[in-house]
Amino acid sequence: MEPAREVLLALADDEHLMGQQHAEWIGVAPFLEEDLAFCSIAQDELGHAAVLYEVLAVDEELGDADQLAFRRAPQDYRSCHLVELPCPDWSDALVRHWLYDEAEVLRWDALAGSSWPAVAAVVDRVQREEAYHRRHAEALVARLGDGDAGPRLLDSFRRLVPIADALWEPVAGEQQALADGVVTAPSAQLQARWRGGVDAILGPVDWDALEHPAQHGRTTRSEYFPALHARITEVLDLDPTARW
Amino acid sequence: MRVYEVFLKREGKDEFRHAGSLEAADDELAVVLARETYVRRAEGDRLWLVDRAHVVTVDDAFLAPNADKPHRHNDGSLVADRRRAQRAP
Repeated sequence: MEPAREVLLALADDEHLMGQQHAEWIGVAPFLEEDLAFCSIAQDELGHAAVLYEVLAVDEELGDADQLAFRRAPQDYRSCHLVELPCPDWSDALVRHWLYDEAEVLRWDALAGSSWPAVAAVVDRVQREEAYHRRHAEALVARLGDGDAGPRLLDSFRRLVPIADALWEPVAGEQQALADGVVTAPSAQLQARWRGGVDAILGPVDWDALEHPAQHGRTTRSEYFPALHARITEVLDLDPTARW
Repeated sequence: MRVYEVFLKREGKDEFRHAGSLEAADDELAVVLARETYVRRAEGDRLWLVDRAHVVTVDDAFLAPNADKPHRHNDGSLVADRRRAQRAP
């Protein structure tokens, strides 16, 4: 695979699986308004994935957007383990939403001015949506953090921050994608900024002491991937002509 | 929890209209939640949220005497009919 594609595929797979995971809160979020908000955010993330898959699908070797989204072998996905993790507890889901969107904004920023015009063209739209996602996550985390839910949120942060930090593990094609100008900042640089944001709300994190999951440049899937993949392909398995 | 009254306005000359209400702990949460509850399908392009505690309300008894004054519904049609009849040849 062309190196630049691998970088975009990693973002597309993260957006796709994050959207799918958020969407599982439809009807069961803690209250009605949050149900609507969280599922709208899920739709936005799926939209970001769809745009990237469409861009990548012009390469026939990779198949069409649906093939890319649903029908690759597990080792061909480039998702990070954070988005593969089941979060059936609302505290975990909310904290992951915060951690993920803080990172997502930086990743799309690094695509503004990309040498790949079809990618650069969607950054504005994505960032307008991300402004809402972050404001939503920030509003809830800040207020719940101050209240009785504070210890629960802290516990979620403690468990999820190491997994989220591993999101920044670069894929094999990153150096080439940087050289080609497809992406304009290395993930290590974005990671440093993201860590600063985490430090700002948690207090200084001992980043060197974190134990990351073994993702091997995002080439290995977590233990949770098979069940997640089975859920998201359930409809396609019933009807291969179904469209998302 | 506070209750916020939600008002939406569409682009153009339409006035703000009451769309419903929303419970939220404070202004910022009200903003974040009202967006997808009331404007997710672009029902308006401007949004007002008013804390119900800030709404000035008026006693029903203070308004009731005005419910019984048919003379205030005079639209002038009787006079207009007579003048029209006089003008007619």
